[in-house]
Amino acid sequence: MAETVSLSNDWTVLDRKLKTFNRLMTTKAAIAQTPKELIWTLNKAKLYRYVPVVPAEKRYPVPMILIFALMNRPTILDLRPGHSFVEYMVGKGYDIYLLDWGVPGPEDSNLKFDDYTLDYMPRAIRKMMQVSGAKEFSMLGWCIGAILTTIYAALRPDDGLRNLVLLTAPLDFSNREQLTFSRWTDERYFDLDKVLAAFGNMPGEMIDFGAKALKPVENYITNYLKLWEGLEDPRVVEAWHSMNTWVTDIFPMAGGAYRQLIVDFYRNNRLVKGELNIRGELVDLKRLRANLLNVIAEGDHITPPCQSEAILPKIGSTDTEVYRVRGGHIGIMAGSGAHKQTWPHIDSWLADRSR
Amino acid sequence: MAGEKNGATADPFEAFRKVRDTYFEGMSKVMIDAVNTEEYAQATGTLLNNYLTASAPFREAMDKAMVTALEQLSLPSRQQVIALAERFTNLETRLDDLDAKLDRIVELASRSPVATTGPPGERTRTSDAGPKSRQQTGGKH
Repeated sequence: MAETVSLSNDWTVLDRKLKTFNRLMTTKAAIAQTPKELIWTLNKAKLYRYVPVVPAEKRYPVPMILIFALMNRPTILDLRPGHSFVEYMVGKGYDIYLLDWGVPGPEDSNLKFDDYTLDYMPRAIRKMMQVSGAKEFSMLGWCIGAILTTIYAALRPDDGLRNLVLLTAPLDFSNREQLTFSRWTDERYFDLDKVLAAFGNMPGEMIDFGAKALKPVENYITNYLKLWEGLEDPRVVEAWHSMNTWVTDIFPMAGGAYRQLIVDFYRNNRLVKGELNIRGELVDLKRLRANLLNVIAEGDHITPPCQSEAILPKIGSTDTEVYRVRGGHIGIMAGSGAHKQTWPHIDSWLADRSR
Repeated sequence: MAGEKNGATADPFEAFRKVRDTYFEGMSKVMIDAVNTEEYAQATGTLLNNYLTASAPFREAMDKAMVTALEQLSLPSRQQVIALAERFTNLETRLDDLDAKLDRIVELASRSPVATTGPPGERTRTSDAGPKSRQQTGGKH
């Protein structure tokens, strides 16, 4: 009799887990819920201002603009209520703006880093300055967003940039042994022209496969095994659901920008060598004078620490700090420990420099 | 034993899980090393190259057929829509430049002696210079 009851309970648990698993695989979680207003658009790009929750007199006067990578949604910065970097910073009294690049269409296949850094970013920043009424601003760049912000900071050092926060910044591509992407995109094996001629933009599925193939067992097997074991824990379920919603929201990267990423960065390491040319201007890192916080993820397999470390001796900033966090490329900002480590550190570093 | 003392039953699958986790851990290292080799890079590159070469004639034929069909139906081709979209973006950029110039003019006007000594209702308020088309998007994305 007891065995029958036990077996019945097991089936109930299995049934419940299967239903939860099915829900996670077939539905989208409600992410990016922090209230915001749209204040500027250009082509697919949008600039949002997050609605402040701290009275104006208690807010920091220096606004901050967040710039994420080109091939994923920036919603990772505002993942879910109670676990959102944006929500955390707005609650701390920062005036936060987010530049969302949007999804490039076939008509954007020629967009390059030149366009993003010299057409889109200055315009979005101008609008932010106008709305905030500030004379200086802070900027946070994550992943390829960190490349864009570094280029901008070096090309336009007098535009009011006071603080620059770089997260997992892939800037130095010299250590090819540690860069799996470098090997995969080597000109001997990867025909970039043929790929872009066929697709125009770099398909999101291919970028997604590349990122996942760096750690195939984790991404294709253990990720789901761990989820299965945690399906009875609502915290695990909700965290996984929101992260999976973000991860699976993939879209292409503009062909021109992808070509530059491969040719100028992965193959020729032009930024660190001082050879990167953006619309006729040579990017001289010595001209980057903003206060700099360089956040490095020690377990990052997409941007190994060696890619971010080399920037400091090259730039002209006098106020610099390197902050190393245990965790991966995304985990340091969106993982369960982010609100205890990375976010408070960024807050405390910025607080002193945003008054 | 500790589990039994606390009243919990021992999980018969615990040992199996440990073995499984150890296996996947080892497997993970092997796979990470494998994908980080020249051979893997060469193999995936060749695979992609072959696929693109093999599919190119079909893509070209499809594109040509599509252009012809769209012409027959008096509909714009993909390239024509792309050209139109690019012109829209150029227009948007010009509008943004004009917006910036207007803001500058408003800012300068608000600083001029006429603006500061005029009736309060006629003064330009730069603090309200945000776009009137602001759109509340909280909770949606």
